[in-house]
Amino acid sequence: MLDQIAEYTHKLVADRAALPGEIAFAAQDDTIVAAGNPELAKLAGELLSRLSCLGMAAARPSLPFADFLVARAPREESHIVPRDTETRTFLHDIPFVRREALEAELAEAIARLLGNRKGVIVEGVGIVASGALTVEQAYINWSSVFHSAFVKYLQDVLHDGFLLPGEAEAFDAFRSGWLRPLTAEGLVFRDGPLADPAEILAEIAAVGRYTVERGLVDSFFGNISCKSGGVIYISQTAASLDALDGCIDPVPTDNSSTFGITASSELLAHRRIYEHSGAAAILHGHPKFAVVMSMECTERNCPITDCWKECDRVRFLGDTPVVAGEIGAGGLAKRVPPVIAGPRKAVVYGHGVFTVGARGFGDAFRAMVEVENWCRDAYFRALEGKLAKG
Amino acid sequence: MSSVKALGWRETVLRVDLSARKSWREPIPRDLLHAYLGGRGLGVRFMRDHFRLDPFDAEIPLIFAVGPLCGTPAPTAARLTVVTRSPLTGTIYDCSAGGRFAWRLKGAGLDAVVITGRSTVPVALVISPAGAEIVEVPQLWGRTVPDTVSALSGRGSVAAIGLAGENRVLFANIMMGEGNSVGRGGLGAVMGAKNLKAVVASGDRQTGIADPGRFDVARQDVMRLFRASPVIFGELGISEYGTPALVDLMRQRRMAPTENFRRTVFEESGNYSGPAIRRDYRARKDGCYGCPIQCKKSTPEGEPLPEYETVSHFGALNGISSLASIVRSNTLCNELGLDTISAAATLSAWGEARGRFSDADEVPGLLRDTAMRVGEGELLALGSRRVAEHLGRPGLSMSVKGLELPAYDPRGAYGMALAYCTSNRGGCHLRAYPISHEILRKPIATDRFSFSGKARIIAIAEDTNAAVDSLVACKFSFFGATLEEYAELLSAATGTDYSPQSLKEIGRRIFLTERFYNCENGFGAADDQLPERFFSEPGSSGEGIAIPPIDRGRFAEELQKYYRVRGLTPEGTFDDPDFLLKQP
Ligand code: SF4
Ligand SMILES: [Zn+2]
Repeated sequence: MLDQIAEYTHKLVADRAALPGEIAFAAQDDTIVAAGNPELAKLAGELLSRLSCLGMAAARPSLPFADFLVARAPREESHIVPRDTETRTFLHDIPFVRREALEAELAEAIARLLGNRKGVIVEGVGIVASGALTVEQAYINWSSVFHSAFVKYLQDVLHDGFLLPGEAEAFDAFRSGWLRPLTAEGLVFRDGPLADPAEILAEIAAVGRYTVERGLVDSFFGNISCKSGGVIYISQTAASLDALDGCIDPVPTDNSSTFGITASSELLAHRRIYEHSGAAAILHGHPKFAVVMSMECTERNCPITDCWKECDRVRFLGDTPVVAGEIGAGGLAKRVPPVIAGPRKAVVYGHGVFTVGARGFGDAFRAMVEVENWCRDAYFRALEGKLAKG
Repeated sequence: MSSVKALGWRETVLRVDLSARKSWREPIPRDLLHAYLGGRGLGVRFMRDHFRLDPFDAEIPLIFAVGPLCGTPAPTAARLTVVTRSPLTGTIYDCSAGGRFAWRLKGAGLDAVVITGRSTVPVALVISPAGAEIVEVPQLWGRTVPDTVSALSGRGSVAAIGLAGENRVLFANIMMGEGNSVGRGGLGAVMGAKNLKAVVASGDRQTGIADPGRFDVARQDVMRLFRASPVIFGELGISEYGTPALVDLMRQRRMAPTENFRRTVFEESGNYSGPAIRRDYRARKDGCYGCPIQCKKSTPEGEPLPEYETVSHFGALNGISSLASIVRSNTLCNELGLDTISAAATLSAWGEARGRFSDADEVPGLLRDTAMRVGEGELLALGSRRVAEHLGRPGLSMSVKGLELPAYDPRGAYGMALAYCTSNRGGCHLRAYPISHEILRKPIATDRFSFSGKARIIAIAEDTNAAVDSLVACKFSFFGATLEEYAELLSAATGTDYSPQSLKEIGRRIFLTERFYNCENGFGAADDQLPERFFSEPGSSGEGIAIPPIDRGRFAEELQKYYRVRGLTPEGTFDDPDFLLKQP
């Protein structure tokens, strides 16, 4: 257990999602072990003793967005609803505990909320998330809350500006200090077409790692594949992009075997994209600015309310098409393939980015960097416009 | 006291005394429903004063119980659970099945039917909203399940036993008219011992939902998670190929029990894989009433096609590669009312003991003899444990507590190894269903060759599934959804707030109650054991995957951890003799 705690503590730091020294995990087997920041570790342990789950993460995020969301929420609110579809599908909503909750009853209050949901924002303390089966799951749920708070805060600021004292300054620090330039420079990609299965597996694992290391995506959500002959090599469901060794399924395109039942839920989308585009490699992740900007629709008086699912228009972010569609068997597999063939990139409303490479992953990776950089610029341009207007 | 009925539930049990030929309705206290939900939980609670009875004692209750979500549009919730004590294992036993029958029973205004006593002549119990009738059916005794169903279907949905149940074969099942079975544990034999050939239900009363808007949101959340799950709605998932989608996966993971678990790879398994069945039988989607997943498959003529466990056990476990033979065995078991898993596994143990596995051509005759208890069937009808003991080779029964293991070799998934042993009904994969995370990566992957953390994971999953079995929902829902969404469905349906945590606590109460019954009946750590083979013989290693024997010491250590997690003694028993008295 302690080795897993060390591993995921390290990951939260490497992701730059949580502040070093302000991270704790607890895990229970026949006894509870907790490690990390002493106060947070105590809290995590107390929570675990009240709940039927195996792991608990408590950590202060590296950005104050979650706290701001709580402070900006109307007094009568008790939770925030993620806007991005993937975290909303899995988290539904994120309850929060306000700063003034009685300290004596804090653990009890958080436990009650965690009895119902995977993650909770505790104002002034951080994000707390449980893992039903593993420490890794607590890490994933923590990261999902972080991701959805990030996306929602960026969107809220774009719509409503800054509302709280200190917000503008914190946001500046985020923009100039936390964000780093995104680039594919210095990365080595194998030139395709790749044919040797061992080489394909190695390349997929390497590129998966790049996406996380370069800060393009969070490790857990996303998938990646490469097609060679009659086989699609695709990352497995619930696999982390930066740990794909042994987590790639070779799926025959003729469906003559079903052992790829463990493949990514986007297998169908990948298959269709290959059919439409003739590409050799596909990359899919959830870069945050692309997710935010995909939801900035300028249409007025549109009758559709469930845009993320129902919108049948093709919009554009620069030269990148944006379409709607649920994950898995829900619709994205229908709408993405027809629009991706030409531009070799596409954004799914409130969800993430697909890019393709003609021969290998190099151009797919660079395309994803481009899309996210374009969206980042577009976001700040729009925000400046908004703030200038007041 | 309020006379307003809680929504979701009917607050009513039908009690039937077959000896006295009487039946009457009684209210179920609302507190009991809140504390045990329905299905498995309610049935187990109703067994409190009867769990020591011999399964063939006339007074043993045979309980059919639906749950609070049955009759609502909650996905996969048109299910019921049958609870009694198993003649095969001697443990408390529950088994669930989907289908219209459950829905019709709920529609008759009932949460449960508790049947006691024994009729002197064969009877059918006919239940409608207006009342219940005990009908003499001597003409149906000796008839197959399909014959019985068609004779009675004019009166409603039918649950019936076949010849195996009549003859008290220890692994006789109860078949639902649409081809679903209350498969395991020999509950059909308990029904047969009561001279009860069938139960027919014909209600169509609506189940009320307290907050339809909230319910619908939760329902859509569930459906979205189903669509996001490759195992459920993925193009290689169970909706497309049925559970035989697992054949190729288990082959690739090298954990498909072969020739009575002597090996773990069967080279010809491709003959009965999901795609092979689709191709050879033009399989079409089928499934439990009202279920959006439709994981069952049937021929265009409506003949049910076998599920994963059945193809694998009538296939690899017996060294048979002919899909036609496997389909025939499945159909025959359904007609005769035999549990396919135990039937195939018993044949396999018997085959190894006599030095030769059965040919495909011999199987149908052996199955008929088993159901009739004639010839070799006299012995086979007792299940693999008694067969192996009788032949002086007790180690050849691949069972735990007498329940034959299904088609996941424990050497290929250590959580499964532990869960087979801690299951309250014997060697069953569904109590904790670790295959979900050890193999299918849902909700997340765990290391299948490690015991680390598994004791608690198994305990939590047992609690979760006890709650699921009491709702009653299908385990396959949880390849996508979680208790979060089902707690929401339940809260919206009943108007009482439940959370995943409160459901797990209910599940824990149910699970420990079952364990307590078993301990009172003499079960303990010595029964929480895998067959020796798994500790001393390797599986079929290859293709970079090693399948060594399970480390005995590490297994024992994790089992002790499990006992501590559960608050049990090192012998796996209860310190507190008054445990039951403290439960609601
Ligand atoms: S998933 Fe399959 S077994 Fe479960 S309720 Fe649906 S059809 Fe029945
Ligand atoms: Zn995605």
